[in-house]
Amino acid sequence: MRRFTAALFLIGLGVMIAAIYQHMDFSNTALNAGQAINSVAAQETGAANFVTSVVLAYRGIDTLLELTILFTAAMIGGMVLGKRRVDAPRDPDAGFILRTGADLLFPLLLVVGLYIILHGHLTPGGGFQGGVILASAFFLPLLARPGSSINQDVISIVEGLAGATFILIGLLAMSEGYEFLSPLFDKGELGALISAGSLPVLYLAVGIKVGSELAGLLAHLAEAEAVD
Amino acid sequence: MNLLVLMIALPLLAAFLLSIIDRASSFAARVIGPLVLLATAAIGLSVWSQLGDAPQAVQWGGFQAPLGITLYADQFGLLFALAMTIGTLLLWPRSTGNQLRSSSLALLLAGTGSGLALSGDLFNIYVFYELMTVVSYGLIASRGTSGSFASTLRYLVISGFGAALALAGIALVYQATGTLNLAQLAQVAPEKLNNLQGFAAFVLMLVGFGVKAELFPVNMWVPEVYATASSRVSALLAGVVSKLALLIIMRLLILVFHQPEALTVLLVLGILGVATGELAAWRARDLNRMLAFSSIGQLGVMFIALSIPGNAGIFAALAVAVHHLFLKPAMFLLAARWGGSIRRLCGAAKTSPVAAGLFVLLSLSLIGVPPLPGFWAKLLVIMPLLTLDQPLYYFAVFIILAAASLEANYLFRVVMKLYDKQPTAVPHKAHATADLATAVFLGGGLIAAVFMLVPLADRLDSIAAQATDVSTYIQTVAPQSLEGDVQ
Repeated sequence: MRRFTAALFLIGLGVMIAAIYQHMDFSNTALNAGQAINSVAAQETGAANFVTSVVLAYRGIDTLLELTILFTAAMIGGMVLGKRRVDAPRDPDAGFILRTGADLLFPLLLVVGLYIILHGHLTPGGGFQGGVILASAFFLPLLARPGSSINQDVISIVEGLAGATFILIGLLAMSEGYEFLSPLFDKGELGALISAGSLPVLYLAVGIKVGSELAGLLAHLAEAEAVD
Repeated sequence: MNLLVLMIALPLLAAFLLSIIDRASSFAARVIGPLVLLATAAIGLSVWSQLGDAPQAVQWGGFQAPLGITLYADQFGLLFALAMTIGTLLLWPRSTGNQLRSSSLALLLAGTGSGLALSGDLFNIYVFYELMTVVSYGLIASRGTSGSFASTLRYLVISGFGAALALAGIALVYQATGTLNLAQLAQVAPEKLNNLQGFAAFVLMLVGFGVKAELFPVNMWVPEVYATASSRVSALLAGVVSKLALLIIMRLLILVFHQPEALTVLLVLGILGVATGELAAWRARDLNRMLAFSSIGQLGVMFIALSIPGNAGIFAALAVAVHHLFLKPAMFLLAARWGGSIRRLCGAAKTSPVAAGLFVLLSLSLIGVPPLPGFWAKLLVIMPLLTLDQPLYYFAVFIILAAASLEANYLFRVVMKLYDKQPTAVPHKAHATADLATAVFLGGGLIAAVFMLVPLADRLDSIAAQATDVSTYIQTVAPQSLEGDVQ
């Protein structure tokens, strides 16, 4: 019965995709919104990277929700993953090369991550990508030395504050009489590091939040007891 | 500036900060969630009172639609946003081990549910829906039993599948129209989506969002989840969250998709939902599962109602939805202490007479015995179906009536057990006071509705009329035309 239903579904989906393929006008995809944004984004948001102006300004609430999805998933991960017994054996430390490599990479990864976050409004990259690099900076030492651990309390404080900053910037706009999450502050000169008003601050909050959440989740996974 | 966005932003802010507040004072962390929801409910009610006949549109970030995201508040959307907020407040989760995380999740659910009900942008709706789905996983798993983990996993797989389909549907719409703003879609839909691609997009979104609305082929998760999650979470999911998914489908149907085939699909899936749900409920030997299957049947009735063209269909679906909104949470709360096999319920009425009496009342309304609201809700569905004069619609009427007799059969089997003279050897546990009080409150709402039927029906009718008023929607949002920018 189950196989029959699955087959029926697949046939239906196949017929539908084939039918759509027959009718769809591929050469004439409507890109009106993209073109409209290209023509006004620089003036309205002051961000040289138009993708950022969409992510943080035009569709900023979607980004807040994506952040919240990550937050929720990390929280559920912490809830579902098992706690480690006190006497559970841990993997031994990695060899000399990996340990030294992790120590050397830590500052480099921090710099690269922060660079990508802080230039998010100018060049491709931004809070999500930079945040992942930050998380790897903190997670790499954990792989090199399984005995050490990340302080989950600090992580939960940092991620809570970073998320709250994002919303508070939105509320600040409301207190000044604009709509929630309206861009604030001086837009500055297009392409300068300090420009685009509140967007870099929002991206910094995104980056720190993504970084701390991912680091926390990875640390939770590493903490889970290995089955021998 | 409009305070409406606070209905979404404040619960999210509180959820982010909850673990930090808990470090400072665990008492503050316990009370802050309900307080925030009280505040957002008050904001919602104040907006409701000034709304009247003129819906409001808010542009997030002040960017004009369709480049920015619209928040559209009419009575229809606001009704469900308030239902979500107040429902979460009434059904505030009580978890033994994970209270802090459960509170965060409940706040997130209230915020995203309100956003989902008010959003006027197709992709924004998708993101809200995704977030609500992830929050539901957490709420189901927060019980911490292996059964709840297993059912969460099943729910996760089916929801992920549904979300992928919905996203594909949204992509098809975007490909054809170049916009995601619902108001602008309403403008261009008759020209650009009244074809096969539009129909395919509708079916994909119907099945995708239907996962939460317990639509027929994608509701396999329902019985297991409601049987393993805590009763308050089941009440929230079955009572409120399923209605929000229904609301999205209603909005899409009103604004974007006008094909007659779409209505036929709804009718067929609705009939199948009623038939399979009620038959499975009739065979169920466990109260939670029985209620879960019966909720599939009830949502099937709502889908049948939606298949009625025009205002009458939306009105009928709204009436059934609001009735179910009150009834199902109360029933799940009563089932909290009556889990396991129905046979073990013999004589439970002696330990908890109030709960048993309430169960009888709720059952009568669910079956549709006059003068209880359930009767009028079903009547609103059946009457327009009969005037349509098509064999499939007549068949739907037959199915709804047959389902009512099945409901009568299985619900009274439970009632007979409750009032059985010979009690079981194992003593029955009395209900927790908070659960029972909430259930009595909801049941009281149903009884109060009996005395206010006419004003209530008028109000629902005007809400439905406002919801189906496409031209007001377009004028209120007033999306800029993008046509001039195309080279």
